[in-house]
Amino acid sequence: MEIEELQSAWIQMSQELSQQKKLTNEIILDMTKQKYQNKFTMLTKYETIGAFICFVIAFFVLLNFGKLDTWYLKVCGVLTLSFLLILPVMVLSTLKKIKNIDITNGSYKENLKVYLKTKNRLLKLQQVGMAIGFIGLLFIVPVTSKIISDKNVFLTNLKVEQYIIFAITLVVLAFFCKWAYKGYQKITQSAQDLIKDLE
Amino acid sequence: MQKEAVFTDLVREHQALLYKVTSIYIDNKEDQEDLFQEVVYQLWKYFDSFRNDSKITTWMYRVAMNTAITYIKRKKRRPDSVPIADVFIKQSEIKDEVFEERLRLLYRHLQHLNTLEKGLIFLLLEGKSYKEIAQITGLSASNVGTKISRVKKKLKTNMTNH
Repeated sequence: MEIEELQSAWIQMSQELSQQKKLTNEIILDMTKQKYQNKFTMLTKYETIGAFICFVIAFFVLLNFGKLDTWYLKVCGVLTLSFLLILPVMVLSTLKKIKNIDITNGSYKENLKVYLKTKNRLLKLQQVGMAIGFIGLLFIVPVTSKIISDKNVFLTNLKVEQYIIFAITLVVLAFFCKWAYKGYQKITQSAQDLIKDLE
Repeated sequence: MQKEAVFTDLVREHQALLYKVTSIYIDNKEDQEDLFQEVVYQLWKYFDSFRNDSKITTWMYRVAMNTAITYIKRKKRRPDSVPIADVFIKQSEIKDEVFEERLRLLYRHLQHLNTLEKGLIFLLLEGKSYKEIAQITGLSASNVGTKISRVKKKLKTNMTNH
């Protein structure tokens, strides 16, 4: 094949392509909309996996709820279940809402207003989730300890190694939360910029 | 609304151009569609910045090619990709086997070029003059000439060996 042959194949392809007018105005505008939705697809994937894990653990706690034999362990159990069930559902529903904002319809001002409101809710939920995550260790650890190894941590003296593991967990959790929150901020900000571009 | 209408007309009119830019850099349908969408978005984003001191197609080539380069830098290629020539053949209604084979060969040869070389040969195949290629790529016209003759040599060697 010579270069001239490449050129003639290219010209023939170009002619074919120019006859195929597949795009409509609607599709073109949808492309910018799709771009917006894509920004939240990855977040939704991670959150869905996270929610699934939470539901499995919640199911496990529920199955073994009878093992929690004191009133305070029962309270811890209820708090653990609430944490594992309510927060993921709230985050997923907010993500769904933010994804479904129709940025190509309605006025720019309205879209931005709805977006900002939902974005703030999502970020607030993440903050609450992180705060509860830390406080949650106080009620999740006793519940899992009781269910898995039948130990009531409120009546057990912890060893130095256990305190160290607990402290390391807190530090790792803090770094993870900071990283995840930054990711959220970055994605929501770039989606907000996208809406501004449509002005 | 006026701006939207002008923009959509422009994209519809030059969709073949955009398709070709995406096909030169990406070799699978899924990523190509994703890149096409990214290009349309970038064109929309910078639509206001277009000044009439160059042809609209020159501006479109520039935005589309820059977007494609950024895209391929960011994206890892998938191992199960479908060669782009096959994608085009399936999409089109052509039943010319000779043409299909030439198209496959064309894309196979192009895949051996690096990003800059692909861009230059693409513009040459599009029938652009060295001056126009220089405007689009930001290289000087003489540099374009030198580089293109090197790419041609590389292509020729490649074609002789296969």
